[in-house]
Amino acid sequence: MSPQLTLQTPLELAPAEVPHYLEQLWSPEQQGSMGTGANTFCLLIWQPAWAEQQLIRSGRLSGPITGQQSAPLIAAGRQAVLDADLPLSTTPLDGAVVKAVADLEGQANAEDLRGQYIDPALSALMPRRLITLAPTIDAAQPLETLVAAYCPLPEEGGGTAACGDVVVLRGGHGALHQGLSILDPLLPESMPAWVWWNGCIDEAPELMQRLTSAPRRLIIDTALGDPRQCLELLRHRVESGQAVNDLNWLRLRSWRETLAMVFDPPQRRDALSHITRLDIDVEGHHPAQGLLLAAWIADRLGWTLLSTAAVENGTTAQFKRSDGTEVRFQLMAVPVAQPNVHAGQMVGLRLIAEPENGQGVCVILCAESGGCMRLEGGGMANLELHEEVVPVQHDTPEMDVARLLGGGHDSTNPLLAAAAPLAARLLG
Amino acid sequence: MVATMTNPLRVGLRQERVIAPQCLVIFGASGDLTHRKLVPALFELFKQRRLPSEFALLGCARRPWSDEEFRGKMAEALASTIEDDPQAWDQFVGKLFYEPVDLQQPDDVVRLGGRLEQIDQQCATRGNRTFYLSVSPKFYGSGCRSLADAGLLKDPKRSRVVIEKPFGRDYGSAQALNRVVQACGQENQIFRIDHYLGKETVQNIMVLRFANTIFEPIWNRNYISSVQITAAETVGVEERAGYYESAGALRDMVQNHLTQMLAITAMEPPGRFDPEAIRNEKAKVLQAARLADELEPWNCCIRGQYGPGGSAESPLAGYRHEPGVDPNSTTETYVAMKLFIDNWRWQGVPFYVRTGKRLAKRTSEVVLTFREAPVHLFDAATGGPTANQLILRIQPDEGAEFRFEVKSPGSGMRSRPIDMEFSYDESFGEPSDEGYVRLLADAMLSDPTLFTRSDEVEAAWRLYTPLLELIEDSPWQLPVHPYESRTWGPAAADALLAKDGLLWRRP
Ligand SMILES: NC(=O)c1ccc[n+]([C@@H]2O[C@H](COP(=O)([O-])OP(=O)(O)OC[C@H]3O[C@@H](n4cnc5c(N)ncnc54)[C@H](OP(=O)(O)O)[C@@H]3O)[C@@H](O)[C@H]2O)c1
Repeated sequence: MSPQLTLQTPLELAPAEVPHYLEQLWSPEQQGSMGTGANTFCLLIWQPAWAEQQLIRSGRLSGPITGQQSAPLIAAGRQAVLDADLPLSTTPLDGAVVKAVADLEGQANAEDLRGQYIDPALSALMPRRLITLAPTIDAAQPLETLVAAYCPLPEEGGGTAACGDVVVLRGGHGALHQGLSILDPLLPESMPAWVWWNGCIDEAPELMQRLTSAPRRLIIDTALGDPRQCLELLRHRVESGQAVNDLNWLRLRSWRETLAMVFDPPQRRDALSHITRLDIDVEGHHPAQGLLLAAWIADRLGWTLLSTAAVENGTTAQFKRSDGTEVRFQLMAVPVAQPNVHAGQMVGLRLIAEPENGQGVCVILCAESGGCMRLEGGGMANLELHEEVVPVQHDTPEMDVARLLGGGHDSTNPLLAAAAPLAARLLG
Repeated sequence: MVATMTNPLRVGLRQERVIAPQCLVIFGASGDLTHRKLVPALFELFKQRRLPSEFALLGCARRPWSDEEFRGKMAEALASTIEDDPQAWDQFVGKLFYEPVDLQQPDDVVRLGGRLEQIDQQCATRGNRTFYLSVSPKFYGSGCRSLADAGLLKDPKRSRVVIEKPFGRDYGSAQALNRVVQACGQENQIFRIDHYLGKETVQNIMVLRFANTIFEPIWNRNYISSVQITAAETVGVEERAGYYESAGALRDMVQNHLTQMLAITAMEPPGRFDPEAIRNEKAKVLQAARLADELEPWNCCIRGQYGPGGSAESPLAGYRHEPGVDPNSTTETYVAMKLFIDNWRWQGVPFYVRTGKRLAKRTSEVVLTFREAPVHLFDAATGGPTANQLILRIQPDEGAEFRFEVKSPGSGMRSRPIDMEFSYDESFGEPSDEGYVRLLADAMLSDPTLFTRSDEVEAAWRLYTPLLELIEDSPWQLPVHPYESRTWGPAAADALLAKDGLLWRRP
């Protein structure tokens, strides 16, 4: 599926004129020509695309800048990891890549189409308004504001012509800040508003704070940014009752589903009350996703956290089961030849259950893409073994965001809400 | 103990689809279906946290109950369920309200509009409404009209109507009812219930067929020799004589439930999993279906009626002696028939359909019998080799079974059949949703996939028109054969298959 361009060529307007212009656009007198404005939701996207911008500027990737994770972008990022001698487990769009490429020469220009592409997964949901904040690497660039109306193509279910508009605010950091004042009138209270922070969680905390006040619903990706800060942000939003969704958590769904599937047959359930060990392997040094999965399991099985410690390449912890028995937990970073685009994705999981008077059970889940040598290595000779392969997901961030928006989640997923604070505590 | 413990890792994983804030209005709130099926299903949804917090249930019927009386009656009816989780009921019951409404009285319905606005205020249900007509079928049309006249169906995105079965009593009346109903709102606002479609295993037929590559290539006339669809009940007419006398098995079971099973078993793969795409395919296959002998339907249809039976200790009364039944009744409690589907996939493959009350066993299933191997290389331990069969069990003991030949142990090369079994219970250990749970949730989600569209209903009625006309005009040509209670129906039904050299599968 190729991204869909806007209906009109975007119009450049002075920032102050934008709210008025859009109000006119959807006024009843205009409706005949434009279709009606969809009464759905607004989505505000923080879209820095730093890696893409730097790779294009330095001539390692051809434009335009889109903000989407295209295959050429990922390939260029991987190449940059090699060229800059970064550790092989560095993800292709990592901050380290951005930094390394920023030091390279080059002044290549490319058209900046961020916010003007509407991914089909999103346009199928007929958003009423998509606002993109597109910071430029040139910090001094003045503010530009673009607006355009669009209607979903008929084959995307847009036959009824409920249309929306897109707004792009582009410029250097300072200029963008100035432009923020037009946002509030553009996000009417009558419609749910989502903010998708499609960048590093720790890169502009005040801005994030400013954009995501309640009742706006926040979408983050805890694979982006310092793991501790990522989990702390999740914990904070959950504890203060503000809706938050995490794409990194969403990407765990096949892990949750596969693990639940293993214990669906009733004769296997008993093992869940006798778990003594949980091991998790993740890619590279970003434990957020692995800890979220561990926290979900601990919460579902009613374990309490006793202690936690950082060890080389990982984290260990002790839990207590409801019957008082101890459960040992270990999360390890394992090297991979070709890391995922997202940092710290799950590689494998092992659960060992040892009932006092019964056959022990070992469950190993292993990502389809990798090997689970460490988890499969020994110590399980007398255990009944269940091994499952967890399918790799190829969904783009846009598809995952669409899944969230389509589900209409107006509050934090209760499983995530239960797991996030515990995951934060596991990091100590 | 262990076997009944729910899987703690499963909890909350199904929360993909979220029901929007809304008020569900049930007409017929003092009736049987409401307390037997609807409110229990809603309570179940509530306990599974699948209802939004902004939810209200407004019961309506003519009798002048108060909110409190309605809540009391429901608590009484659900007493045994509430016992398991009284706290949940305490939270749920606050969402129940009652308004006396006579659907025949326009003023009442206008007043209802006012009450709904009040509930919107009180429960933040945002003017989003599902109207459920659980009243006598004679009010379906006029009920819709009163709702439309009161302006309650104006917004197609925020109002929908659920209509219970039966939808019409023949092709003509179904068409007429469709016209009335469609004048009240858009087709996508109308949800015609067929509770068989709410059954997990009926939906599983689609998954089995279209999520696997091994079945679809052989799911056709080249490999399948015949199909049997059975829905057998052990119960008699019970308290429903009044309704049943005027309906009979053909209207009560075949036109809706069995025909839906037929459609899902025989339809072409839809282009995508989308309500309209699926319903298009179902409508198409029903339009291609016909009785095996439309000119002389008595050659392809057998009617029966249960007589007395049971044992000396617990005798069972025959149908004609049931309370409320005409002692000379010719209403059928059993039907068996043979159909064909005139399309490329199914040309010449007989579909045998049967249903009845007071049969030997309660079971619903679809059985696909495959063609025999072209050459018999091996001796079969049981005489002839058994044809491969795929059995899809809808209820009880939901699952599937595949029967094929293997080598019989020993020195010779004899073959014998074995069954490969899949059981929902053993694999998932969690009871699947009761049909109404699924259907209520889907209606409130505005997902029409599991509801029948106007053209499907009409195609299904048209399919049986020759039979209905015959029963009406010259019933002696389609006599009701008596059968003993708790047997597999009249001998004539066995003869129907024997003509083709086949037997009904004994489930
Ligand atoms: N019961 C089942 O198992 C079952 C199965 C499948 C389908 N259905 C269908 O479901 C529907 C309801 O069945 P049921 O067994 O619940 O019937 P029921 O017990 O006879 O209940 C009928 C309800 O309609 C109300 N009512 C009658 N006239 C009304 C009017 N003018 N305005 C408003 N309400 C009115 C009655 O209450 P008041 O007297 O207080 O008005 C009563 O609550 C029927 O269409 C039936 O075909 C039932």
